[in-house]
Amino acid sequence: MRARYPDIAGHVDREGVSLGYEVFGDGEPTVLLLPTWTIIHSRFWKMQIPYLARRFRVITYDGPGNGRSDRVTDPERYSADSHALDAEAVLRACGVERAVVVGLSLGAAYGVRLATLRPGLVSGLVMIGPSIPLTAASPERERTFQTFLEPAPPSPIGWQKYNLDYWRTDYRDFAEFFFSQCFPEARSTKPIEDSVGWATETGPDVLEAESLSPPPEDPWDELVSQVACPSLVIHGTRDRISPHRRGVRAARLSGGTLLTLEGSGHIPNVRDPVKVNLALRDFVERVMAP
Amino acid sequence: MRATTPTLAEIVVRDDVEISYEVYENAGPTLLLIPPSPITHSRIFKAQIPFLSRHYRVVTFDGRGNGQSGRPAGRDRHTRAQNVADILAVLDATSTDTAILVAHCHANWWALDIASNHPERAHGLVAIEPGVPYMGTRLQHWIESGKTWNEALQAPSGWQLYNRRVIVNDLHAWVSFFFDAQLVEKHSTKQFEDAVEWALETTGEILADAEEAQELDPPAKHEFYDQVDSLDLPVLVIHGDHDVCQHVDKGIELAAATDGDLVIIEGGGHLSLARDAVKVNRAIKRFVDTKRGTRMNAETWTRGPSRPKRALYLSSPIGLGHVRRDLAIVEELRKIEPDLQIDWLAQDPVTRVLETAGLTIHPASEWLASESGHITSEASGHDLHCFQALRRMDEILLANFMIFQEVVEEGNYDLIVGDEAWDVDHFWHENPELKQGSHVWMTDFVGYLPMPEGGEHEAYLTADYNAEMIEHIARFPRIRDRAIFVGNPDDIYPATFGPDLPKIKDWTENHFDFSGYITGFTPPTPDEIGSIRDELGFSPDEKVCIVTVGGSGVGRDLLEKVIASFPLAKAQIPELRMIAVAGPRIDPGSLPKHPELEVHGYVDRLYRHLSVCDLAIVQGGLTTTMELTAASRPFLYFPLKNHFEQNYHVRYRLDQYGAGTAMDYSATGPEDLAAAITVELGRDVNYRPVETDGAHRAARMIAELV
Repeated sequence: MRARYPDIAGHVDREGVSLGYEVFGDGEPTVLLLPTWTIIHSRFWKMQIPYLARRFRVITYDGPGNGRSDRVTDPERYSADSHALDAEAVLRACGVERAVVVGLSLGAAYGVRLATLRPGLVSGLVMIGPSIPLTAASPERERTFQTFLEPAPPSPIGWQKYNLDYWRTDYRDFAEFFFSQCFPEARSTKPIEDSVGWATETGPDVLEAESLSPPPEDPWDELVSQVACPSLVIHGTRDRISPHRRGVRAARLSGGTLLTLEGSGHIPNVRDPVKVNLALRDFVERVMAP
Repeated sequence: MRATTPTLAEIVVRDDVEISYEVYENAGPTLLLIPPSPITHSRIFKAQIPFLSRHYRVVTFDGRGNGQSGRPAGRDRHTRAQNVADILAVLDATSTDTAILVAHCHANWWALDIASNHPERAHGLVAIEPGVPYMGTRLQHWIESGKTWNEALQAPSGWQLYNRRVIVNDLHAWVSFFFDAQLVEKHSTKQFEDAVEWALETTGEILADAEEAQELDPPAKHEFYDQVDSLDLPVLVIHGDHDVCQHVDKGIELAAATDGDLVIIEGGGHLSLARDAVKVNRAIKRFVDTKRGTRMNAETWTRGPSRPKRALYLSSPIGLGHVRRDLAIVEELRKIEPDLQIDWLAQDPVTRVLETAGLTIHPASEWLASESGHITSEASGHDLHCFQALRRMDEILLANFMIFQEVVEEGNYDLIVGDEAWDVDHFWHENPELKQGSHVWMTDFVGYLPMPEGGEHEAYLTADYNAEMIEHIARFPRIRDRAIFVGNPDDIYPATFGPDLPKIKDWTENHFDFSGYITGFTPPTPDEIGSIRDELGFSPDEKVCIVTVGGSGVGRDLLEKVIASFPLAKAQIPELRMIAVAGPRIDPGSLPKHPELEVHGYVDRLYRHLSVCDLAIVQGGLTTTMELTAASRPFLYFPLKNHFEQNYHVRYRLDQYGAGTAMDYSATGPEDLAAAITVELGRDVNYRPVETDGAHRAARMIAELV
């Protein structure tokens, strides 16, 4: 059973792709919780929704490729620009003109694009563990990007599993490996189980299309610098997916506040939900202060 | 002693009146503290200044008619317009373009005038128990007493004392009634004394004129509301809901009318800034930081499971005794909990010992206001009224608590150990939501006792303080996770806490664990005595007398008296060798000299000298006398006059051990002292033994909480 069910659940169609969204509560302002890499869907916000919805209107939606949205295989639909337009469509469908926008990992990149393409829609931006290539990832991860499309080694270990060929061989094993890296914190069995479960709702075809999506025209550091609204970066020091130094840089470029989580991994909203919830509330209230 | 001193204290002259102001320079916005003169002056903010000036630039001043400012006569010299012009003059004189105004009571009316007529000079208003016209409920006793303001009343009492003739002829009667009525909170004796003292610095004529002047130039009701509506600055209202000077409705309406923030202190009266200073200070800081939008620039939060075990240790700087035993406890604690990280929040002279031992001193320690400096400033000759000295240390304790609380909130401490950290224990009971980590309270005496000279009033005050402590522990037993009495039940002085209060011993046995005494060292065996004496250069044919007065500056008079007795004693006992130790706070060069007398400043590990001497002459402090007891040395001790702890608690404990000879400082001349030295020097003693496992026992009690 969920701790809180949506007051409204609907779909919005944008240029032929159906996106499932949910609305919780009717407080002000609206907090839009963005999708992230489509290997999981909007349930990864489950620790935030009940708390935030007691104060604010919370909107979540599934991005293309997972959850209640269409399993699109057109790479164009997975670009940050396309994600920003999806978010705009969801807000319009809910009759919302302005929201505090929160993104995790790749979702932070979508949030940056929304805040720069449609600045009027975004009153504040929170980037959690931003997976925005402002600095290099770890050497191990950088190597896997090079070999992503090559044939998988016979018995891949570690980040060698980040390989399209291997996804087609043993997708579940990849997902289990990947989320073990997302949650380096001890005693994380439940978050890993949850995430792997959500991952099995989509598959390699969708993730392949996502991996081929085009980058934005402008470099990311310029886009992050263009974020004009108040911003907050939350980043764990043990993030193995997107290193903490990226969060430091994102905060500096956007002129935002940096909340460092010592000892936390890539998905602190799941693993350290109390701290993240309190920080989100504090940020929303600061943004809304006269 | 004040907790902090201003960067600048100056005078600006306006309207031929000297207005005295003080500036505490700092970065950040300026906070202008506006007292509701002339019934009080800038000292009303004494609990705010040390805290706020650590974070912001603070300007205070004494309004005309009180404090260091002039005393103009006549109603027209005390109007609102005159006071507002003074405030602007202070802003100009201090080159303050714009400030956040912090005002109490009717000073808020002046602050509102500035905010609406000179909006460029104010960018925030903190209105504490605001006294503004028209808004909220006008209290019935003001309406009634206003009707008889000019009358010649027969035997006026209560609110009738609000009367021109009473105020002019007997200012004390009015202000003592008034502040007694305002301090609705129990145990407010110190705040009451302060408020009355400051009020008596003005005159009845000036106060009466100022009261009448308020009615000279009031705006019409609609004008006042228009003025409030026109305000465009952030407002915070703080108001006690038991305020009988300005009804809490006034604050509520002012907050609503200005779209301001509102903090209501339930159970609080008119002087929340004095009586609930911790809450008020934190509310002001939160308001200032939030409105500046800079509350959080960068923060690091450590996951609970990732945190190392950490303790914050506070060791009282009054005397060097606490740190000695605290080091012994920590040494034992490390054996049980080797991974425990310990930071020390401490001040001179404790920090000297900690530095020598290579321990971690928290950097915030340097902000602490000096407690031992205060105690020294309170001593006069061989006289230290330590109960009153502690009461007068109120603003230093508050200032240091505010620092402590910030350290605790940023430090993720699992454990707070306070060896007589009075501020932590008191203010956590007063503000229980602020407690973090497990808290160990440690002391070697329980109960304030009155000295005979203080008479009934002092007995009333000590009982009031004791009752407050008893109520604290009864109401919030969760604040002290462990209370350790350094000693044994038999050491407890046989008295009650006061009339209708429990026996100290019964209550302490029910609320404390007993560690036994903690000397911090193991007394030398007879063999070791010989080798230590060799090492220190004490020859077998000389009789060594050590004179020491501990770590505080108190004790010069005793040193001088002993030095005066030296030639007399030396004439009778040629083998006498006297070594006087002045301690870290007395310049040895400033003491009288004698060819055969040795005088030293600070002596490292003085206890070793004491443990092998043939006689010691000391004050009545517990640490040194118990060291001598543990080492079975003969000693003469002089309790400080009016020092209840030395005269009752320590003396009683020493009597239980059959240790030492108590001396009366004022009744002992150099000849008497020389005679006593002759009797005591090298005398065999047979004291009750002192346990040597106290530190281990205390450490075990503490370790259970980590």
